Amino acid sequence: MTAVAKLPDNAPFPPDAVAALNRVITTASPMQRSWLAGFLAGVEAMSGDGEQALPAMAIPTAAPPAAKPALTILFATESGNSEALAAKAKKDAAKLGYAAKLLDAADAKPGDLKGNLLVIASTWGEGEAPARAVPFFAALMADDAPSLPDVNFAVLALGDRAYAKFCEIGHQIEARLIALGASRAAPLLECDLDYDEAAATWLTSTLPTFKGAAKASVIHVDFGNTEVAEALVYDRRTPFQAEITDLVNLNGSRSGKQTLHVELSLAGSGLTYQPGDAIGIIPTNDPAVVEAVLIPVGLGGDSVLHATLAEAHDVTTLSAHLLQSYAALTQDASLIALSQDAARLADYVPGRQVADLFEDYPHRLDATQLTGLLRKLPPRLYSVASSQASVGEEAHVLVGAVRYEAHGRARGGVASTFVADRRKIGDTIKAYVKPNAHFRLPSDPATPVIMIGPGTGVAPFRAFMQDRDAAGITGRSWLFFGDRSYTQDFLYQLEWQDLLARGALSRLDVAFSRDQDAKRYVQHRIWEQRRELHAWLQDGAHLYVCGDQNHMARDVHDTLRQLIADQSAITPDAAEAELSAMKQQGRYLLDVY
Amino acid sequence: MSAPSQNAPSKNAPSKNEGIKLASRALRGGIAEGLGISSTGSLDEDDTQLTKFHGIYQQDDRDLRPERGRKRMERAYSFMARLRIPGGRVLPAQWLQLAEIARERGNGTIKITTRQTVQFHGIIKGNLKPAIAAVNLALLDTIAACGDVNRNVIATSNPHESPAHADVLRLAHEISGYLLPKSQAWHEIWIDDQQVTGHETEEEPLYGKTYLPRKFKIAIAVPPQNDVDVFAHDLGLIAIVEHGVITGYNVSVGGGMGMTHGETDTFPRTGTVIGFCTPEQVLAVSEIVVAVQRDEGDRSVRKHARLKYTIERMGADAFRDEMERRLGFTLQAARPFTFDGQGDRLGWYQDHQGGAHYGFFIENGRVHDAIGEALREICQVHSGEFILTANQNLIIAGVIPGERAVLDEILARYHVVHASSPLRRNSMACVALPTCGLALAESERYLPSLVSKIDAIMDHAGVGADEVVLRMTGCPNGCARPFMAEIALVGRGPDRYNLYLGGAFDGTRLNKLYRADVDEAAVLAVLTPLFQGWASGRVPGEHFGEWVIRAGHIQATTAGNRFHLDLNTELVAA
Repeated sequence: MTAVAKLPDNAPFPPDAVAALNRVITTASPMQRSWLAGFLAGVEAMSGDGEQALPAMAIPTAAPPAAKPALTILFATESGNSEALAAKAKKDAAKLGYAAKLLDAADAKPGDLKGNLLVIASTWGEGEAPARAVPFFAALMADDAPSLPDVNFAVLALGDRAYAKFCEIGHQIEARLIALGASRAAPLLECDLDYDEAAATWLTSTLPTFKGAAKASVIHVDFGNTEVAEALVYDRRTPFQAEITDLVNLNGSRSGKQTLHVELSLAGSGLTYQPGDAIGIIPTNDPAVVEAVLIPVGLGGDSVLHATLAEAHDVTTLSAHLLQSYAALTQDASLIALSQDAARLADYVPGRQVADLFEDYPHRLDATQLTGLLRKLPPRLYSVASSQASVGEEAHVLVGAVRYEAHGRARGGVASTFVADRRKIGDTIKAYVKPNAHFRLPSDPATPVIMIGPGTGVAPFRAFMQDRDAAGITGRSWLFFGDRSYTQDFLYQLEWQDLLARGALSRLDVAFSRDQDAKRYVQHRIWEQRRELHAWLQDGAHLYVCGDQNHMARDVHDTLRQLIADQSAITPDAAEAELSAMKQQGRYLLDVY
Repeated sequence: MSAPSQNAPSKNAPSKNEGIKLASRALRGGIAEGLGISSTGSLDEDDTQLTKFHGIYQQDDRDLRPERGRKRMERAYSFMARLRIPGGRVLPAQWLQLAEIARERGNGTIKITTRQTVQFHGIIKGNLKPAIAAVNLALLDTIAACGDVNRNVIATSNPHESPAHADVLRLAHEISGYLLPKSQAWHEIWIDDQQVTGHETEEEPLYGKTYLPRKFKIAIAVPPQNDVDVFAHDLGLIAIVEHGVITGYNVSVGGGMGMTHGETDTFPRTGTVIGFCTPEQVLAVSEIVVAVQRDEGDRSVRKHARLKYTIERMGADAFRDEMERRLGFTLQAARPFTFDGQGDRLGWYQDHQGGAHYGFFIENGRVHDAIGEALREICQVHSGEFILTANQNLIIAGVIPGERAVLDEILARYHVVHASSPLRRNSMACVALPTCGLALAESERYLPSLVSKIDAIMDHAGVGADEVVLRMTGCPNGCARPFMAEIALVGRGPDRYNLYLGGAFDGTRLNKLYRADVDEAAVLAVLTPLFQGWASGRVPGEHFGEWVIRAGHIQATTAGNRFHLDLNTELVAA
């Protein structure tokens, strides 16, 4: 790396141009300088008179390097964010001359880690590793993990400040790698849900710090225009305004629940998706909640600020981080005391929202101070409930309205109540497609599929069944569905009946928890059908679970372990190993939240 | 009393139901398999005909029908399960079990029906087996509570009132057991969880493979009480009590309520008294009435299949002759009797031995909320029994000394005893909407508010303290025995009723159509001057149903086959 990047006085430019160029070059990052070098080289190559110019520019690495430095990009992903970032990092690294390869933690062992290592790790829920990365994480943490003195790493940690153990897995991996003798190339970056900019900046500054990077100082700027020529692709940052063509609450009028079937038109967007993917929805905040945030800080009635908050900021999630920032900003003594007392903090934060904090500790803020405290409004992901083979340029999602009371105030899920209360047919919703390559139908249509999806968890299985039905696939399929009440909450009942009648769906078992005193859930049905279900697994069935992570998916997993132990007459540990193997083989797939 | 009808026994093909019964393997059909299909809350259509023989009706919540398709859900199916409780006697411990079944498996309510039994509503398919199994654990059943068989046998309430009352309760149990189908399908499907397939099914020596052409109802009355409306049933037995002992029973045949709007060859009919039999003969007589109807009833047109049409066709004399031929003995001449009313004894009263009983008025028989809670608590302290009445009420019978004050306290605490008007206490309504598939108009949900309005005009006319029997049904099939009432409203369509007048207070005469297709305003407008006329024109003790005839407002219906005749057609359509 050049210690001081500065044009020599005899550079072939007028003095003011030298000064201008130096102003740019001396403040540019290594990557920016590399990019500039690549850019100029590309311009010359296109202009055709490079013969004269090239020797003068003396670009040492324009020629292919003898050996590209290796970089392993390890990702541990739950919803696909880490994976997408890893793919971006790989692209960036390639431009820097690295021979970068991606490594999914789901397929990795600690022994695979060598040399330059970029770790991109999501933290899930209350400080847990993504489900598919659990075996790797456990192996890394295990006493018999190999020492890794050759590893030179940096960690990009993704998390959600709404949870107490923010970026926990990233931190644990970093600490463990150091403990195993690895050296750290750059400090860890913590990212909240609005990670795009921070992550991009960090990658820009971090990638060049790996070993061998000095040799890779020209970014090959592609002038082929192929990517630029592509039509605008709608994504998280540029979502599509999708029109709502149908919106109906599928629960009966006497249900305690509200589950909205939403049909979005993707016409004209060019967006496509596959069953298993998710639709990202960018909601706006409830105006009443926005006002409740503005009033205690003396900004009530500011309509411009109101609009900004409603559209762009997370005005509900209260994190310890936000509380601490607010304490520091206001210098409120009692708030500072609270922010420094972990026990009281752990008692105060859960169930409360930003408005509660402001009401409990009101201080005047200006607009900049307020928006500085709030993170960006994150999108919400909904498993797509339709197949384009069946619905064409539409995407259907199933949105369960979240409503509850906490600390004396009625609360609602930001996105779900946005859809339920403030959207109607004909309105638009900002949406994009979030692919989920890890939740796909088996490639062989003859492979039996077992789908376990109570509540809104049934959404991807409607997509699966639409897809199979449209393709005329009559391979065996088995759906387990559950909810509270048979009569009021049997989502898509007529559609399942239709699929059953036509043989597209082979079996349906249901469990409704509140139709009798003894709560009945899908895992009870699974256990009742253990012989048959085990036979399907023996036949190579793929097993899918979608829905609630904390209770349902765990209970189902426990029941599956019990079922395999019972039917194969093996120990629970051996059954657990079988389930892990199924996960590794991509035969036991989860889409849980 | 009745001329032979022109309806010859139909030579047409048997009705669809006959084929279903024949192929049912003694009432099994595909019920057991259908219960296991979880994608639908309904059963196969043919099987829903068979479940009736098990006391179970498939229904759906008609209030919810409009929303279901849009929500991608089938109709909100559920089942009604009706118990067989001959004479209506249940123990408090059993009542508690029934209340639990209603709470956990049904819609939380219990309906006391006009057949002196109870029914649960809103049992979804997945809860049906557990519900019926729990009924069995309460030592009760639902066998033959519906269907083309003899249904729950009813008898004048409260066995404590006299030895004769106790005798008729016993007789109700005997007849019910005697006429019970032999099929073990009920136990198999609902209790034992075993399916019998392939092997021979049980013989039905009385019913045969196709059971009866239509439902069959038996009532036993102890004069002067006609709380069971003894003439409204296929077979009515009127106890003849001499010196406190039942010497035998007058036999009434061919009563029945159901008819179809606009079809004058269907009509309600009061039973014909054809003679008298001794207590020793009464089981055989009952069986033979069933047997003759089994052989002679119309099996091609279900609307004409009840015994009343068989009697109309054969003539009562010929019917009795056929009975006597099969019995091998003749019936004696009917003995004299008199009835004094259709109602129940309500409130506290004492029996002949000084025992205390409380007739608990339960509006339209619907036990829910506070009434249900009060009864549960009463079950904890009551050592006697409960008697369900044919007027949808409940008698807390056999109250021991010292218990009365406790019961009074409970009833007061739950605020379930109200100063109901005589009209309200003498009113009945069938279930109708939202669960009954036959209902054309509201009944149980509507009558209470209408009674308040009629009370007001009766009060205004100065007759508010007088007893008048008012009954409402949502359709003309007659579950609340409307055609025996002094005033009846029978549903024609949403908010539209036919108004019938002139039934006898003692349940001995049918009423007659007075106004067709009237709404509430018209009902009140029509009744107002009639009550005023009754108030000023009646002779002492003259009931409303008698006065409207004497005053020329309506002609008396002297027989079922004259129900649709003698109408004042101008007034009817007014």
